[in-house]
Amino acid sequence: MTTLAMPTTLPNPLREGLAAERIPEPATMVIFGASGDLTKRKLLPALYSLTRERMLPGRFAVIGYARRAMSDDAFRNEMRAGCEEFARRRPVDPGVWEGFAPNLFYQAGEYDDPRAFVALRERLEQIERTLGLPGNRVFYLSIPPSSFATVVRNLGVSGLVPPPSGPAPASFSRVIIEKPFGTDLATAQRLNHDIHETLTEKQIYRIDHYLGKETVQNLLVFRFANGIFEPVWNNRYVDHVQITGAETVGVEGRGGYFEQAGILRDMVQNHLFQVVSLAAMEPPVALDADGVRDEKLKVLKALRPMPSSEIDAHVVRAQYAAGSIAGRAVPGYREESGVSPTSQTETFVALKFFIDSWRWMGVPFFLRSAKRMPKRVTEIAIHFKEAPRLLFGRRGGEGVRPNVLSIRIQPDEGISLNFGSKLPGQAMEVAPVTMEFRYGSSFGVEPPEAYERLILDCLLGDGTLFTRADEVEASWTWVSKIHEHWHAKAITQAAAGAVEPLPTYAAGSWGPEASDQLIGAGGRHWRRP
Amino acid sequence: MESAPSRSTVEKFSRGEAITVGVERIEKELAALWQAASRGEDGSESQPISRAALWNLVIPARGIDSLSRVKRLVDELAPALPARVITLCRGWGHALAGISATIESNVVSRPGGARLVFAEEITLTGEGAAADERHFGALVRSLQIPSLPTATLWFDASPADSLLSNELLPVSDRLVIDTGRCVGARELGAVCRLGAINRVEIGDLGWLRLAGFRLLFAGLFDPPVGGGPLAMASHIEIEHRGPKIASALLLAAWLGVQLGWRPLDAAPGFDKGTGIRLRFASTSKGSDGRERSVAVDLKPSPGECGTSGIVSLSLDAGGPGETYRVRRTADNHAELTVPIAPPRTVKLDSRSDAELCVGALGPAGHDPLLRRVLPFAERLADLVAARGAG
Repeated sequence: MTTLAMPTTLPNPLREGLAAERIPEPATMVIFGASGDLTKRKLLPALYSLTRERMLPGRFAVIGYARRAMSDDAFRNEMRAGCEEFARRRPVDPGVWEGFAPNLFYQAGEYDDPRAFVALRERLEQIERTLGLPGNRVFYLSIPPSSFATVVRNLGVSGLVPPPSGPAPASFSRVIIEKPFGTDLATAQRLNHDIHETLTEKQIYRIDHYLGKETVQNLLVFRFANGIFEPVWNNRYVDHVQITGAETVGVEGRGGYFEQAGILRDMVQNHLFQVVSLAAMEPPVALDADGVRDEKLKVLKALRPMPSSEIDAHVVRAQYAAGSIAGRAVPGYREESGVSPTSQTETFVALKFFIDSWRWMGVPFFLRSAKRMPKRVTEIAIHFKEAPRLLFGRRGGEGVRPNVLSIRIQPDEGISLNFGSKLPGQAMEVAPVTMEFRYGSSFGVEPPEAYERLILDCLLGDGTLFTRADEVEASWTWVSKIHEHWHAKAITQAAAGAVEPLPTYAAGSWGPEASDQLIGAGGRHWRRP
Repeated sequence: MESAPSRSTVEKFSRGEAITVGVERIEKELAALWQAASRGEDGSESQPISRAALWNLVIPARGIDSLSRVKRLVDELAPALPARVITLCRGWGHALAGISATIESNVVSRPGGARLVFAEEITLTGEGAAADERHFGALVRSLQIPSLPTATLWFDASPADSLLSNELLPVSDRLVIDTGRCVGARELGAVCRLGAINRVEIGDLGWLRLAGFRLLFAGLFDPPVGGGPLAMASHIEIEHRGPKIASALLLAAWLGVQLGWRPLDAAPGFDKGTGIRLRFASTSKGSDGRERSVAVDLKPSPGECGTSGIVSLSLDAGGPGETYRVRRTADNHAELTVPIAPPRTVKLDSRSDAELCVGALGPAGHDPLLRRVLPFAERLADLVAARGAG
């Protein structure tokens, strides 16, 4: 084996024309938090699937990093078990695994120990030399949020990433940061400030796995590749918009975390506001990272500020009580492990809000998200205004309903449109019918997992489906007002010695009555997704 | 009043069996059968069916063996690509009174038994005067689902056929060919000439079969190696499964296009009379300032070649151990050799013809690089054929 010494690397002409194949350059991915659940359930299975689909370069390595001591082989075995259980296509193909596994390595170390990062750098450089890797690096932070800033600082101090002010290096260094990105506006701003001391914004990939979902991306295609929808996508034709993010699961052993978060932080501020911004944004000038993110940001900035005096009227929160899910009894939230019996953390939230832009002025957006709902579903539904004159009002017009376009994000991704149709027969009777498009049946192929798409995009340097610093701060700006109001209210109630428990809803129901009242004015009601 | 199809006909249709119909009644019968198949046992509309279709696919076949292959391909395609398939079969071997037609459904069951994907297949068979291309052309035009794109899957290695040029290409949006079915240079040259048809998009299954090799070989020159060894290359070897030289010529054409080479000549008889040496003029100059030439040797080999026909592709950069190679090994794997890293084994592409068709009907079916490679391959094929080899 010889070592190639080339002061300047000539471009690779054989790559030209292969851009459509979307194969990134050789690189190493370092996963911080490699002994955690996400690595085993999502990240390694995604990397394995990408290898299986031949979407990763021929030279690619993964280094798992965590506190727990473990050998390379033990890490490989653990990851194999994870892939066997969670990979999109199972069982694991032994032939693919044979080529993949030797390039998995493990390094133990603390997140706050700069010497451990120097050791990591030495190990990484040795692996890069051995495998002929060019120094392209992606660091995946699948660790507690409290360690984000420390790890990023240590990446810089140890020389694992070059200083942001230095000359542009030949190879890339990128950092993927998992959610939650801050717990309110102040902490998000502080975190952005801290990581910008080591990284430029272009190196930072704040991941929101919702954006990796096929239907979320299809929102862009649906809206901007078809000429017939955009003209009616505005306040002239749209009556209101409903967004539902429902889960059947409870806190699943993460009671301690959820107590600090609540559904508003856990789902709304990130996932669902990303969906809202894609659904409501203006056409971007270009389909590149900043083009799309600039438009999403404008939506988040146009969210009408909610004065404290209006929050109780526009925001409904509740906790699930004991009930039934999938035919079995489940406990209430306050009985879950790690949850305080006097908890005031919301597991249900419903919001009514407005986007003050020319397109959406006056159109109410209703958003609800909760745990322990009857079914797992995330969708956005555009409810159109009724026809200006109901010709069929007296004769068989019972079937006339406003048109609804619903975009199902998960599960069973697809789009459906409800419209009225004449029933066959002599009478002029109208019945609502549904025209459906389902990814599963129309294309007959399973879409890739969100993490596959997002990891690949990061390796290719495409930040379109990642969240920018200003987007994060804009959504926190709006959401934090609600948290501040709730916090102030709790203090007032505690001082008065009259703490009101949150309203409850039975597990397996669609939420408290108050949420029906929230949407009910004007004869509207929540869709049954 | 039209009579409804019999229950046994509906059951046959639901099972995907072929039902003979008059050519003038194809659309009516299909509509009636889908409607009947949607009804529940008691006749209620309890199982609404979507007739999903993303493409009109026109697939000509010649003779019963060819038709059987097409049928198998269509069955494999159905789960991944709902389509209206119109199969045209000539060369049946015995005279027919006119064009005969059968219709059948392609139903795909999902896990749990739900039947979610429905597509339909129309087979038109003719012989002698009945198989006049104009009859087939008119029927295809009448049977295309409006607003859907139409692709012609032309797997015949002798494309100089007026059915294709006069009748099918004018109504097609995409032409899918298969250079991988060509054996010699003459066949390849003839198929590559289809690449000059600009009014349709073109996809090639042979090109897609080579994708794994192309990607892996290209990856050898990613940083930190870079394009240096490619610029200085003087000798490249492509081992192919003899006598199928066509895939090797297509691979050489890809290298020629990407590296800006100009074909000079072809010399058969290399390697104990069995191989072919292609010579190219390189864009880079030698140390003496003169135009450099690159030799590409196409060598027959008994080695493992999978479906691509290629056993190995290697570049000798001059120095000792300076070899860059992708070699196919057993079980659909490839060994990658680069001077800067230990050899590595990776899994190769092993897509079936149906999966390749799906690829060719997707973005890979309008690859601008293929548009440049086909005429280059045609020139190489002509050079080789002119020397009486391949």
